[in-house]
Amino acid sequence: MDIALIGNPNTGKTSLFNNLTGSYEYVGNWSGVTVEKKIGIFKNNKDRLIDLPGIYTLNPLSKDEGVVTQFLLTEKVDKMLNILDASQIERNLYLTIQLLEYGKPTIIGLNMMDVASKRGIHVDPVKLSQTLGIPVAPVVARTGKGCTDLAATITEGGIPTPNASLVHYGTEIEEAIGKLAELLEGKQNYSVRWLALQLFEGNQYVKQYLYSVIGEERLNLFLQQIKNTINTNYQTSLELFIFQKRKAKIDWIIADSAIKRNLTKTPLSEKIDAIVTNKILGLPIFFLLMYLMFMLTFDWLGFPLSDYLDRLITGPIASGIESLLSYVGASDFIHALILDGIVAGVGGVLVFVPQIFILFFFISLLEDSGYMARVALVMDRLMEAVGLNGKAFIPMMIGFGCNVPGIMAARTIETPKERLLTILLTPLMSCSARLPIYALFVGAFFVQQKALIVLSIYVLGIAVALILAKVFSTTILKGETSLFVIELPPYRLPQFRALWRSTWDKGKGFIKKAGTFIFAGSVFIWLLSYAGPSGMNVALDDSYLAVIGGFIAPLFEPIGFNSWQAGASLITGFLAKEAIISTMNIIYFVPDEASLQGLLSNYFTPLSAYSFMIFILLYIPCLATTATIYKETGSKRWTVFSIGYALIIAYILSFVIYQGGKLLGLV
Amino acid sequence: MIVLIGKLKKGEKGRILHISNTDLLVRRRLLDLGITEGSEVCLKCVMPFGGPVMVESCGQCIGIRRKEAIQIEVEKL
Repeated sequence: MDIALIGNPNTGKTSLFNNLTGSYEYVGNWSGVTVEKKIGIFKNNKDRLIDLPGIYTLNPLSKDEGVVTQFLLTEKVDKMLNILDASQIERNLYLTIQLLEYGKPTIIGLNMMDVASKRGIHVDPVKLSQTLGIPVAPVVARTGKGCTDLAATITEGGIPTPNASLVHYGTEIEEAIGKLAELLEGKQNYSVRWLALQLFEGNQYVKQYLYSVIGEERLNLFLQQIKNTINTNYQTSLELFIFQKRKAKIDWIIADSAIKRNLTKTPLSEKIDAIVTNKILGLPIFFLLMYLMFMLTFDWLGFPLSDYLDRLITGPIASGIESLLSYVGASDFIHALILDGIVAGVGGVLVFVPQIFILFFFISLLEDSGYMARVALVMDRLMEAVGLNGKAFIPMMIGFGCNVPGIMAARTIETPKERLLTILLTPLMSCSARLPIYALFVGAFFVQQKALIVLSIYVLGIAVALILAKVFSTTILKGETSLFVIELPPYRLPQFRALWRSTWDKGKGFIKKAGTFIFAGSVFIWLLSYAGPSGMNVALDDSYLAVIGGFIAPLFEPIGFNSWQAGASLITGFLAKEAIISTMNIIYFVPDEASLQGLLSNYFTPLSAYSFMIFILLYIPCLATTATIYKETGSKRWTVFSIGYALIIAYILSFVIYQGGKLLGLV
Repeated sequence: MIVLIGKLKKGEKGRILHISNTDLLVRRRLLDLGITEGSEVCLKCVMPFGGPVMVESCGQCIGIRRKEAIQIEVEKL
């Protein structure tokens, strides 16, 4: 049995999903769009729970929200599980009414009753169930309380088909629904009442569907008639008329099943907001938090951990593998392949796992606590000035972890222009795969100011993105108004288990990539360095890698790093940014990070190292990011553009930094 | 007294009288959040340099831009 999980954003949908399901059957994307699609298996190992994006209403404003209507119009669903936030029951019931009109058996999971009672709202689940005519199960999604009962009710009990006519919309609309039913007679299987009301509300997806069933002309004629009738009889628009009918019903439902008292106490959330979104303190607090996050990731916590891991991999692990290889009598070729290729390449990347997990942990913390939405509010003024809105800052922040989910997060931006702009600029955010490169170089050249130098690179990435946003929005992406309405959910103390799960979900990709992509890449790069035009086991300077790297190296002379090694690593960097580290480890042929850092000073000066880091920050989105940009924009032109502008900007900036630095006498 | 949300002072409350001057998309989204004519709102904070404002209505907090906030007429409570 397929059960769809639907609810408003910020209602605890993800927690409920995690508590109801034992395992994922499928994690991927919705067909045609890249919103994450998750299907979980109930703990009875039989029924499937389909997670849908959080929405306020079925009538979508953004593409993200369109997924739900699209789902209801194309895929098979047996039952629906609607999660309600008791503290926002009015708004949540609006979606419930639309779902009941769809006419499938529905059950309500009533969440956040504790939050509601703190606000003076008491919802009676029994009464609510009687009023709506469907089962209502109280749950605490965060802790899992009540989830077992909910799962039992939805998977076992025979849930009655709800009364789709809970709301009476007045004779005009009810007659129009009847008329549409005649037009659709025998042509399709969805609830006519639901289709009609969605059409009247202005749901474009439903409109397109109905066009395909009875033709554009007939439908438009029908729609115009009912619009005119409501306009003439009530002097209001059809959409607003429907809204008011539903609202009246919701008020009646609430009067019947909830008690409200006015509390004078200020909720904790508002007290926190009085400080963190304070007119004067808001921005400084945000920057302070960013600073703490970077210091912890790079300096205080992440650096010693990575250092320890490095010593472990290059010490006991490498020598263990070496003695194992000698013991089984492996050939010199295998010996070199495994130790100089795989251990150097994959190990060099794995060393940075602690730092990457710390960064992902903080991003999850910002998301789960509710602070991320405040960041959007605090940053909106600045983003508006460059032609974006505060919401665009969230994909960019997520982009610090990995550009791919960052670009996907841009779906929540309602206007197409701002969304495209955000997609194009998110790759400039320094993702965690670029972090190992900085860590390596600052360790070699800027020991005293590690975190500060890395912070300057991150800030530069943001600055370039903002400047380009302004440039693009006033030239190639002109026009269109910007929309900024954001819900600021109450602060929640994140639970460690949920935080860990979310950090792990994000970070495991990095480890997986090291085991697959980087592994294969390391073998390939090592082979290129082992073989050359004159045969096998050649001197490194005569290898194929040197030939390829040397071919493009002169291009980088003006920006400070004319060596075939740098050229070769930049090519592999397109596959994955951390491959740059693997390549360098293999090329420079050194046992550990510390000696690589020592060796680098033969090839780079602090100035050219900084120029190199800036170039890596900007020069190209990695392969996975490029593929995501293509999927999200659906345009080859914009994908090529995103690569092209990045290359140009990277070259110009590195040039200015290197040549400018030389003029100032820095070496 | 009739004023605009954007002109309320921090902590002041009002009931929305007239919202139809705002951008269509903004109005739609506010409606999704249950905020429309007749809703009671309270101005919670104002971002500097003409930035957005935070408005509370029925226990939920919402951020909107100043330029939208000065299109919404409220009756001061």
